[in-house]
Order: sequence, then C-alpha cells, then structure tokens
Amino acid sequence: MKYAIEKPARQVAMVMDLNKCLGCQTCTVACKKMWNTDGGTDYSYWNNVETLPGKGFPKQWDEIGGRTDQGAVKRGKIPNLDSEYGRAWSFNHKAVIATDAASGKKEWLKPKGKPDWGPNWDEDEGTGTYPEDNHYFYMPRLCNHCTEPACLDACPRQSIYKREQDGIVLVDQDKCHGYRFCVEACPYKKVYYDYQRQVAAKCIFCMPRIEEGVAPACARQCPGRLRFVGYREDQEGPIWKLVDKWKVAIPLHPEYGLGANVFYVPPMSPEKFDSQGNGTGEPRIPTAYLEQLFGPDVHKALATVNAERDKRKRGEPSELMDILVAYDWNENFKLDGAVREVI
Amino acid sequence: MKQTLQLIAAPTVMQPGGYVPEAYKDRTQASTPTVELTAEKAAARGWRIELQWACPQPVSSIANETDLFPDAAALMVPVVADAPWITMGQEDKPVEAALWRADREALYQLQAEGLGTMHRNDAPAGWSAQSQWADGVYRLVFQLKPWAALDQHGLLGIALWRGAESDRGGLKSVSSGWVSVS
Repeated sequence: MKYAIEKPARQVAMVMDLNKCLGCQTCTVACKKMWNTDGGTDYSYWNNVETLPGKGFPKQWDEIGGRTDQGAVKRGKIPNLDSEYGRAWSFNHKAVIATDAASGKKEWLKPKGKPDWGPNWDEDEGTGTYPEDNHYFYMPRLCNHCTEPACLDACPRQSIYKREQDGIVLVDQDKCHGYRFCVEACPYKKVYYDYQRQVAAKCIFCMPRIEEGVAPACARQCPGRLRFVGYREDQEGPIWKLVDKWKVAIPLHPEYGLGANVFYVPPMSPEKFDSQGNGTGEPRIPTAYLEQLFGPDVHKALATVNAERDKRKRGEPSELMDILVAYDWNENFKLDGAVREVI
Repeated sequence: MKQTLQLIAAPTVMQPGGYVPEAYKDRTQASTPTVELTAEKAAARGWRIELQWACPQPVSSIANETDLFPDAAALMVPVVADAPWITMGQEDKPVEAALWRADREALYQLQAEGLGTMHRNDAPAGWSAQSQWADGVYRLVFQLKPWAALDQHGLLGIALWRGAESDRGGLKSVSSGWVSVS
C-alpha cells in the first residue's frame, strides 16, 4: 500500500536557468569529488550535465523509469553498468609511463579496448542540420527531492524518507538491503546502487552544507551562476519568485506527477535559417520538444522570459531579468543564516 | 524426513509501498515451483536441513554490477506458535530466519515482526551452510546449532530467490504455509 508522506515543515528547492549553462561540468566534478569517489559508486553521478537532444545519462533514462506519461506506476528498469551507465574506462597509464622518448617510441594515453558508451558520450552532438536548424542545449540533472518521491514509495523497507525540516530525500543505508526497487522506480534515474556496499545511494542536496546555510556544491561552484537555491515557500527568496511569482521555472517531466522540487528556466534559442540563410522566426529548439520535457507550461515560461528580456533591451526595469542575470550571486542563494561568500 | 514442497509466489499485493504491488502485479507464478526439503535433528549437532531445487541459471556473484541479484534461500521459523507465516510474523509475534546468499559464505540471521521490519545480522556461531550447484540443481545444506525456536515449534517456512529472475525482497517463491519438521 502506498505510504503516506508527511509534508515537511518547508521544502528546499533549486532553480536552474538553462539559458546560462555552459556545459562545463564544474557542478558534476564538484559533486563527484565531494560525495562519490568510493569504489562501488565510481560510475555514478548524483549531478550530471547532459546534452539535449541526446540519450542522457543513464542512456534513455526517460524511457526506463517507473512512471508512465500519465503518472501511473509502471515497472522500471535498473540500468546496466556497461550499456546504460557506462563503466569507468581503464587507460594505458603504464604503457605511457614506459614511453621511451630517446628511441622515438611514443605511447599516447588512450582507453584500453574500444569504449562504446559512457556518461556524456553524446556531448555537443545535438541534432538538426547546419546551418538551418542545428541545435543543442545543456541539461544539468540531480535528484528532484520530489514531494511524492517514487523511490520512497518503492522501498519495502522504508529506508528512504523525506527530512521533516527541509524535505530532502535521503536513504538510510543502515536499513537498505540493496533491493534496488528505488533505482527501478525513479523515473529520473537519480537513485544509484553502490555495488560494493550493496546499498542505494543518491544526492543528499549537500545536506550538511544546507544545515550551515551554504548552498550545495553543484550550485556554489557553478561559474555560470545559473543555479538558485532556497526554500520553496520563502516569498523573499529566488525560488518562490521564479517558480510562483514569475512562473518561468518549471519542473522536468511534470507528467510523472511526483512534484519535483528542482525547476528549470527553459532555453530560448535563436531562429532557424531558411535555405537562403534568412531567419524564419521559428526557434531553433522546437517548442514541441521543450513541451515533451517540461510540459505545456513551457510556452508561458518562454513567453515571459522573452517579454522581460525585450523590456530590458528597451531600457525598462525588469525584476525577473535582474534575478536571472545574478549580478551578485550571493543573491542566488537564500538559506538560513547570512552566509555571504566572496564574489 | 524428505518432503517435496510446492512453492507459491509471495503475493506482491501485500508488499509495503505503492510501487512493488503495482509494478509486479503480474508476478503470480513462483519462479521456483518446487523444493525438496530434508530436515534432521541430531541432539549434539543441532539441525541439518537440506534443500534441493532446480535452477537452470545460477547467479553466485553480483560484484561490480548494478543490475544483478544473487540466488538465495531462507529458512524461517516462528518464535511464538501463532506467528503468521505469509507476513513474516507481526507485531509481538516475531519470526526468525537463516538466510543463505550465493554470493557470500557466511549466513545471515534474520528477525522480523511483519513485512518490511526484517533485521539482518551475522548468523551466530554454529550456523553454517554448504552449497553446490550442478546440472541445473542447487543442493544446499544448513547446519544450525542451536535454534531454540525450531526446537520448540518444529515449524519451517521456506523462501527461495532466483537471481536470474531478479528475485529479491518480496519477489520470492515461498512454501504455502508452515511446514512441520518435528
């Protein structure tokens, strides 16, 4: 029977402005180095950045999760380490070190064997035809710390819970027996399996940092200043303003019906060219594709961002643009405590 | 005493949470339909319990993989006479079990008072198991000394998990009730 999930006192949340993501993976590395360097989780990325349109990480994650397009439960799939996550590659380090420069014999660093998949495998590929309509954008992803988490509802041992004080979704690894129903059920495929410790492992929203009023590493390290962190209900904070007031930040795949608490400002794009190289007025990233990702609210979100940008271009004030530009990125984060960091 | 037991699929509809009952509602057939049970008690050596079952595709290692599950077998006993078998006991009516997994040598000892409540610990000294797989058949011999609850009630419940069928947790083949071995 479905578990009753108590509403937390408040919900910590994140907004990412996809118009500013550089695809630099600084967030990915910041997270990985902080939380995921153990064997058993070497393949996993609590935060990753994928190129869209593309296959994503794990491969085709949006097709193998435990929810239908109507939000109903369906049996998901546990991704395979080789074909869907991508096993960490081995390299010929010894051969490179043994290179004999004097004899001219040189061995270049390369993977052993011929890799055919890995995280970020299709980086910058995108789709379309140059120069008419080629396009891609970057999509950073982490656990959505859902209001109704599919992972939580999948665990027969109730090893997964939402923290009362901030709604962060956590795995109690002392209770977990490694059944991986959570991995199967999460439609975002953001619960991983530590194959050495044989327990589930997932993003903890940098919980110890949140407790100190410091933003998660992925947000704090972002050179593009595209991440906003705060409490969902805080009307003075950036999350409420972007999600509820301006309605430009929307969840990924809202049709799963889980109440994701990570939101995205969808990407605007330059216009397509016709065969003569003239602009057609149509956005390069098809709005229908964005609707597949973000649902029908994407139209209004894009219209608002475009209108506010135009206002700013005319020299008029725009609260929305001021927030998104992030002149002082301390303003991107509104957590407990007045932790201001050096700009 | 050797017995051939028909096994049933543990009812997924009873599983805690909303996902498993719905996602696995089609799992109505036991992945292992029968098991042969031989249980003997020798006063000095405790219980010797042998299970044999067909398993065409054994899974004895899940190392360095994300999507494999090991074959496993458990012997469950009631701690109080009326502990329900299908729910692995209930509050104040505990059950105990010995769990063997094909990917580890030592047994686990389990305690539960209902579905989702199971605690898993290293088995006590004196509990061991030897397994052999040949020609599509597992032969597993538990040596269990002592086991007061089994001595007292003489009842066993059997559960088998087939790794190749992604059996784990409540996805298992179980005896259709307590089996008398006294």
